[in-house]
Amino acid sequence: MNKVNSPKIKRESKNKIKVDFERTNWFKRFRLRFLTGTSIAKGLTWLFRFVLLLGISYVILFPFYTKIASSFMGRDDFIDVTVKLIPRRPTLDTYKAVIENQGYLDGLLGTASLSFVCAILQTFVCAIIGYGFAKYKFKGRKLLFALVVFSMVIPHQTLRHSFYMRFQNFDIGIGEFGILKMFGIEQIDMLGTYLPMVILSITGLAFKNGLFIFMLRQFFSGVPDELEESAYIDGYGPFKTFFKIIIPISIPMLITVFLFSFAWQWTDNFYVDLFGLIDNKGIFLLNEIQGIPGILKVKGYPGEALFTAAVYSTEAILIMLPLVVIYLFCQKYLVQGIERSGIVG
Amino acid sequence: MTEVKRRKVHRRRRKAISLDRKKARAGWLFVLPFIIGLILIYLPIVFDSLNYSFNKIIPLKGGAYELNPVGFGNYQKALQDPEFTKVLVSGIKDLVFDIPAIVIFSLFVAVLLNKKIFGRAAFRAIFFIPVILSTGLISEISHSAMAGESYMGQTGAVDDGSGQGASGAEGIVAATDFRWLFQNMQVGSGLLEYVTGIVNDIYNIINRSGVQMLIFLAGLQSISPAIYESCSIDGATGWETFWKITFPMISPMILVNAIYTVIDSFTSSDSQIMTFISSKYGDVMGGGGPEISTAMSWIYFAIVIGIIALVAAVLSAYVFYQRRD
Repeated sequence: MNKVNSPKIKRESKNKIKVDFERTNWFKRFRLRFLTGTSIAKGLTWLFRFVLLLGISYVILFPFYTKIASSFMGRDDFIDVTVKLIPRRPTLDTYKAVIENQGYLDGLLGTASLSFVCAILQTFVCAIIGYGFAKYKFKGRKLLFALVVFSMVIPHQTLRHSFYMRFQNFDIGIGEFGILKMFGIEQIDMLGTYLPMVILSITGLAFKNGLFIFMLRQFFSGVPDELEESAYIDGYGPFKTFFKIIIPISIPMLITVFLFSFAWQWTDNFYVDLFGLIDNKGIFLLNEIQGIPGILKVKGYPGEALFTAAVYSTEAILIMLPLVVIYLFCQKYLVQGIERSGIVG
Repeated sequence: MTEVKRRKVHRRRRKAISLDRKKARAGWLFVLPFIIGLILIYLPIVFDSLNYSFNKIIPLKGGAYELNPVGFGNYQKALQDPEFTKVLVSGIKDLVFDIPAIVIFSLFVAVLLNKKIFGRAAFRAIFFIPVILSTGLISEISHSAMAGESYMGQTGAVDDGSGQGASGAEGIVAATDFRWLFQNMQVGSGLLEYVTGIVNDIYNIINRSGVQMLIFLAGLQSISPAIYESCSIDGATGWETFWKITFPMISPMILVNAIYTVIDSFTSSDSQIMTFISSKYGDVMGGGGPEISTAMSWIYFAIVIGIIALVAAVLSAYVFYQRRD
């Protein structure tokens, strides 16, 4: 080796010095850096991965795009065969009709209040129950947790008729025997009110609450015991510890659970139907906005079927929209909460 | 005086015991909501449901009803329904075939999303959209929308990727192209059918693997980076690292996810068996009714419990648990 690498001083001032190295020429450097086998392989895997993710994202997003596109299409676009994915005569008529004639705003209010109440209750109750399972050892804990899993495994469709009967003549007891009946109090008909949903939420029995309890239990088991011990030493009781120490550090996880229960309640079709919340005079839910508004019906219109589909798509978008907004705010916590839960082990 | 002393000692001893007991009591208090719900609502409901399945329900005036025991009559009727057995067999076949597809797909995507890549946050946000938006009401409306489109057939201006049946079959990969590709590879036609089926059903599979992806991601995050570092120092390739490190470490999650997939797909109201059972619920004329549909779903439940036990037994033989000291 000759002295290629000795630095050459180019310019020198009081506190600055500019040095020039004799460097290998740029092409050779480029070749050694980027055109080797490993780096090409790396680049290709990166590309492959990226394209794959892009492709799957496309599969997920495309149906949403077609829904959005068709919801803006005007009547003539459905007859025009050349119109594919971009509306040529964009119009807001479909939205207007659905919002004004199908009672969208009333439905929004009803569904939002129901979902919000249920989600808050479920998150809170499941957090309490999950914490109890994670941090306290008591007799029958394993059996009780097995029952939580059990409540997750039995589909509620199996219990459909029993749910209906139970909440139609609400009583505590089995079969003919009931506590309320024993005291001569009339059984309460809860169908057509929020009460059945609220009762199920308070007791951690509503849709997928077993999963929430499981997730939260895993999360709380990962919280170090020292945290609580130091709180006990400071004179906190178990409940004060839970509310003042544990809840604040588990906000991302709680938001995750809230998001799930909110979204699943929002799109729920089974329970609201079962508990008589649909076709009910007092309560109007988003489930009831389905259908074709009278204004949009035109006789002898050739694009009828497609147009009907587009109206349904519009309704689906309007139902999804609030959820999407909430999701965009919460999705940061979604992954964060799950990552910290450490479900492993 | 000795009396007082003894009492004092006695009291102190009781107090010493009660610390553990106090904690246990707090634990009971925390899970109390669930216990109350379980005893007062859930178990009676499960009992009622079983009870209905062994009885004939005769409605009386004013919402009351009378139960007429029929033994296993409802179950016999359910099993004699030719449509039910048909739906049951095909539904369970689908379920069994979907488990590996969903688990493998979600593991694959979770591994992809775990690596540092451009736009990872955006991809993650997109991939979890189906968890929120593909359930119940929205999927039902989408089905109504699709029914309209497929009525119009091929000329449709709106090509929905979620399409099943005639209009959407060509959606992502034309089955014929795929078949042609596989024919040269000399694999069995059974596997070929399976793979083409999955590829054409990819939308469905993506929609159903959201929670599983989240669980896998959580599992991947909890693997210590030090292990990967030591592997790369020893000269392991990415492929080797995956099979020797990631896979064993994630195997408990595979078990959890397989079981979750079974539970999720059979309790979801979208599954064809559940749809069938629900349709039987109100169909008293066509040999249905609440008691028959209850009996049917208990049969289904028993079978699925069997599948879960089988999956758990098979997978737990391969699961690797990291020893914790």
